[in-house]
Amino acid sequence: MSSNRFDSPLTPRRQLVVVVVAAALIGAVFAPIVYANANEPSGTVAVVEIEGPVNTALADDVENELAEIRNNGSVEAVVLKMDTGGGAPVASERMYKAVQRTSQQMPVIASVQAISASGGYYAMAPADDIYVLPTSTVGSIGLNAPAPQTTPPVQGPSGPDKAGGNEIQGWARQQTLADTFINAMMAERGDRFELSREEVAHADVYLGTKAVQNGFADEIGSLNEAIHEAATRAGMSDYGVDTRETGPDGGVPFLVRTDQQVVAIHSNDPGYADVEPMGIAYVHWESVPHVDTIERFSEDSLPVEGTESAGAAGANATGDTAAANGGESS
Amino acid sequence: MNHTERLAVAFVATLAVMVVGATLVGFISADGAAPAPEIENDHYTDEDLIHDDTPGEADVTMSSNQPSRTVLVDPGVETAGAAPANPLALLGLGGSGVADRDIRPLANVLIENGHEVRVHAPSAGGAAAPPGPSGQNGGTQLGAELEEADAFVTFDSEYSEAEREAIDSFLENGGTVVSMTDPDEEFDQPGAAALDSTLGVTTEPGYVYNLAENDLNYQRVYAEPAGESSLTDGVDRVVFPSATPVGAAAGSEAFRPIEGTQLSTTRASTDAPLVVADGGVIKIGDADFLSPENAQRADNDVLIGNLADELVSSGAAGGAVEFPVGGPADGSPPADGPVVGEPPEPPTAEPDAAT
Repeated sequence: MSSNRFDSPLTPRRQLVVVVVAAALIGAVFAPIVYANANEPSGTVAVVEIEGPVNTALADDVENELAEIRNNGSVEAVVLKMDTGGGAPVASERMYKAVQRTSQQMPVIASVQAISASGGYYAMAPADDIYVLPTSTVGSIGLNAPAPQTTPPVQGPSGPDKAGGNEIQGWARQQTLADTFINAMMAERGDRFELSREEVAHADVYLGTKAVQNGFADEIGSLNEAIHEAATRAGMSDYGVDTRETGPDGGVPFLVRTDQQVVAIHSNDPGYADVEPMGIAYVHWESVPHVDTIERFSEDSLPVEGTESAGAAGANATGDTAAANGGESS
Repeated sequence: MNHTERLAVAFVATLAVMVVGATLVGFISADGAAPAPEIENDHYTDEDLIHDDTPGEADVTMSSNQPSRTVLVDPGVETAGAAPANPLALLGLGGSGVADRDIRPLANVLIENGHEVRVHAPSAGGAAAPPGPSGQNGGTQLGAELEEADAFVTFDSEYSEAEREAIDSFLENGGTVVSMTDPDEEFDQPGAAALDSTLGVTTEPGYVYNLAENDLNYQRVYAEPAGESSLTDGVDRVVFPSATPVGAAAGSEAFRPIEGTQLSTTRASTDAPLVVADGGVIKIGDADFLSPENAQRADNDVLIGNLADELVSSGAAGGAVEFPVGGPADGSPPADGPVVGEPPEPPTAEPDAAT
């Protein structure tokens, strides 16, 4: 008989107590983990920030984040937090493609903060819906570029188009570039625009209140409302929010425009390596401040208390720093 | 199999089960990027997306067989104090005037057909330069030059009162004036209004554009003849790269923008003319259409040829009345001209002047 029983000095009653206590201790160790798992939201809404001038660094980050999101089983919806006046065409196209691919896989809602225009609008166009605030700015579907000019011949380059080019060919290239953008927007949102292609090509911007009427946006709503809508579309009754910051590590560059072109400046105290001319840009013109010139000048030639004009500062340009001077031209 | 062998087999078997199991589980639960499905973006591959970038060709010819005339061109190059004119302006950069190459299609066809082309290049303080002898040139360099010209082509709009009087006299004496303007000029000082008044024409603020049908840019509008005239002869449509509507007090409309063109200030459709002719005055709301590149677009070359014909159609220009054609080649007025200071009056024609 004793051979079939647990051979112990404890009585059966005590054995039971030991077993219960042991189970309780083990349960106490695992209970928080089980609780946390049981209490976790059923999924996550990722908020991807697309803010500042559209450039390569921003496109790199947005592409990476969206690729990770597509392969992350816990993320079930995406909200694009938009606040950009646009920028480089290729960077805009890269983000457009990434958003397009993501929106095929899960709900994507764009939530416009102050502005999403030109290249910014391009990037968010494949979203299922665009949320705007009443005074957000959207639109500016078009290309900014200087007029192609015929220039005196340069001796040295290996071919006529290496340095310089034909004026008409330049016009054709620019028009093709503009139409690439406009056609993409018509393909994405042509059925929602209340405007004809020609009217869209005016490249006007619209306040949120008007945009929801003419089809440039879909809903008036805040970021939180956009997040909730995205979660609802993904079938999540409860959800977590995961915000993904994007953009260059060293802070976003600021854009200025001269009479000729848009220029990206990557530093508050820029040297020449920090100044990047952009011949062509999908950018909302009015959102880019104008400067008369970008020249070298030293700090002691900076205008003091508004007594010196931009021209005077430029005339004293002797220093070793490239910087923007001047102001709004009007 | 002894005990040691059994232990070894058990070890190997267990290890094999673990490794194979882990491999299988790894394959099954692989969390890498799935192959991305192809996304068709037909709007990027549309054949119509790529615009034809063929620059085109120009063949500017004249049909007129008039004898040699003198055409004075004012390219609008400004002087800067005592210094020579801004060299950049001659390149069409940084100045308001047009470059030499910009007038070549017109100038060359005139030269090829035996006519003389002179260019008004104001010297420093040119407005007060050599007093003319006729009393009609108001003592201005321009007036003196006009006296020897049969036609006047100007890209400028800033003229002194004396110069405008000289232009007025030139017109009264049968000279032809072609005035070209750009939408930019409305942002200058209001000198253009005074010149327009002298010529009896108007310029509408704003520019025209056409987003539906254009020559590679919304501002490069097509225009069609508004009727039949020597200016529109043989022209189907022309391109004006940056045009402003013009009008004439009592003239005929020569070219109108095609349907779908709008005016920048109203954002409404417009068919206001871009070229008008009023007697000896032709007003063109664009100054770029005759550059070499633009001459190759549409029928701009035909229009330039027609314009050249118009410029040499009449030879009874003001100065030519007093001074026989082929007078002083250096531009200085002849010593036997009319007395300085006489009020403008109908010229006394000399027999060989009005050829």
